[in-house]
Amino acid sequence: MANKLLMAKTPEEAAGAKTLTAVFLAGGTEVNRLGSDIAETADTLISLKKCAGLSGISEDTGYTEIGSMCTFQDLVEADKTPGWLKEAALFMASRTKRNMATIGGNIAAARDDSYLIPALSAAAAVIELMGSDGKTKRTGIREYTDGGFDGMLITKVIVPSNIKLVSKRYSNTAQSHAVLTMSASLTEDGIHMHGAVKNAGLLHFCDLEKRFSEEPSVSEQEIIDMVRTCTGLETADDMFGSDAYKRYLIAVTAYDLNRQLRGKEA
Amino acid sequence: MAKQYKVVHCKVNGKEIEQVVDVRSSLTDMLRNDLHLTSVKKGCEVGECGACTVIINGEGFNSCIYLAVWAEGKEIWTLEGITGPNGELSDIQQAFVDEGAIQCGFCTPGFIMTSWEIVNSGREYTDDELRKALSGHLCRCTGYENIFRAVKKTMLRRLGKDKEAEMVNSQGITEYPEPMPFK
Repeated sequence: MANKLLMAKTPEEAAGAKTLTAVFLAGGTEVNRLGSDIAETADTLISLKKCAGLSGISEDTGYTEIGSMCTFQDLVEADKTPGWLKEAALFMASRTKRNMATIGGNIAAARDDSYLIPALSAAAAVIELMGSDGKTKRTGIREYTDGGFDGMLITKVIVPSNIKLVSKRYSNTAQSHAVLTMSASLTEDGIHMHGAVKNAGLLHFCDLEKRFSEEPSVSEQEIIDMVRTCTGLETADDMFGSDAYKRYLIAVTAYDLNRQLRGKEA
Repeated sequence: MAKQYKVVHCKVNGKEIEQVVDVRSSLTDMLRNDLHLTSVKKGCEVGECGACTVIINGEGFNSCIYLAVWAEGKEIWTLEGITGPNGELSDIQQAFVDEGAIQCGFCTPGFIMTSWEIVNSGREYTDDELRKALSGHLCRCTGYENIFRAVKKTMLRRLGKDKEAEMVNSQGITEYPEPMPFK
């Protein structure tokens, strides 16, 4: 049970204190939530709130660098934040929650109803990580969410400033967990589609990307049929919706996003 | 492993306080259990319902997902702090009463704190902006229209637009009188 708290003053101190049984606390915390895993498994909480050098948004040629402790509200208010990222941050309807939740925290939590990961993945964002030795390295967000970076502290998120990217999120209310959050971007390499599907995880829709690249004006019915019969998609019946409903939602959303990116009405 | 405690120094409702807390305590716990400020409600405890909203350094936060130790050096306001010295209601509280913006009352302190931040900002929000600013709160008695009206009227009055405040109809829309026809 978590009994110890370290208020780290520098990223190096925070990263150096990370052990298997320690957890980072970014913007807010669910440590006190009934049934919280953190309270049961972690013995040390490393607070990043007073960590210097993890905030701020700056622009470089074609890229925007965002400190991992920037809150969603910082993203919404900053002039330098790309529009597509502001849109994704605004999926979090509560301003009081936006005042707390951070971009780094949202990435690290990697939840299946993540607000930002689908958009950041579709944008091929890069994140900077710090290991316990204080050394930093950069990796793509897609590689990060695939795993293998446990225990590393996210220090920075680097996103392309000018990219054509659209997103959609579905939930029962603005405050509810989303059944689907999906983003698509259109670059010289083609279309990129990523999503977060409740109880199925963070997904990269490679087959859909391939089909839309082969035939940009493919019919909606074909996409619906394709997703309905896709064996690689592990969606389940649950309180958020049936397997069939989730597949239908993914298909029609993918179709709409593709049309939006190509300048047609959704 | 022994529990770890820490002393937190902050200003709550204008008073300097020094409080020993378990490092895992949420700000809600400290305000309710140690300082007996029970207007701060425990609703969802995951930052979704907004019932625990307090103002920290001028901005609204969900105190249930905010550790008490993070409040070190901060200035915090709860509903108890916005009433007058003899318990007189503030203008925003009175507006909630006048507009019937209360049913069971559980969400009310949180709503009022966010509303207080809005009306203190000194800017005029559009209807859309107001709705968005209030969207971090859930009211299960479905009293949103009355709440919206209370906030909008108070905001307009604070801006010296008393006449416009009187033109806000039951749906919260400002109804301007028909212009006089030219003769």
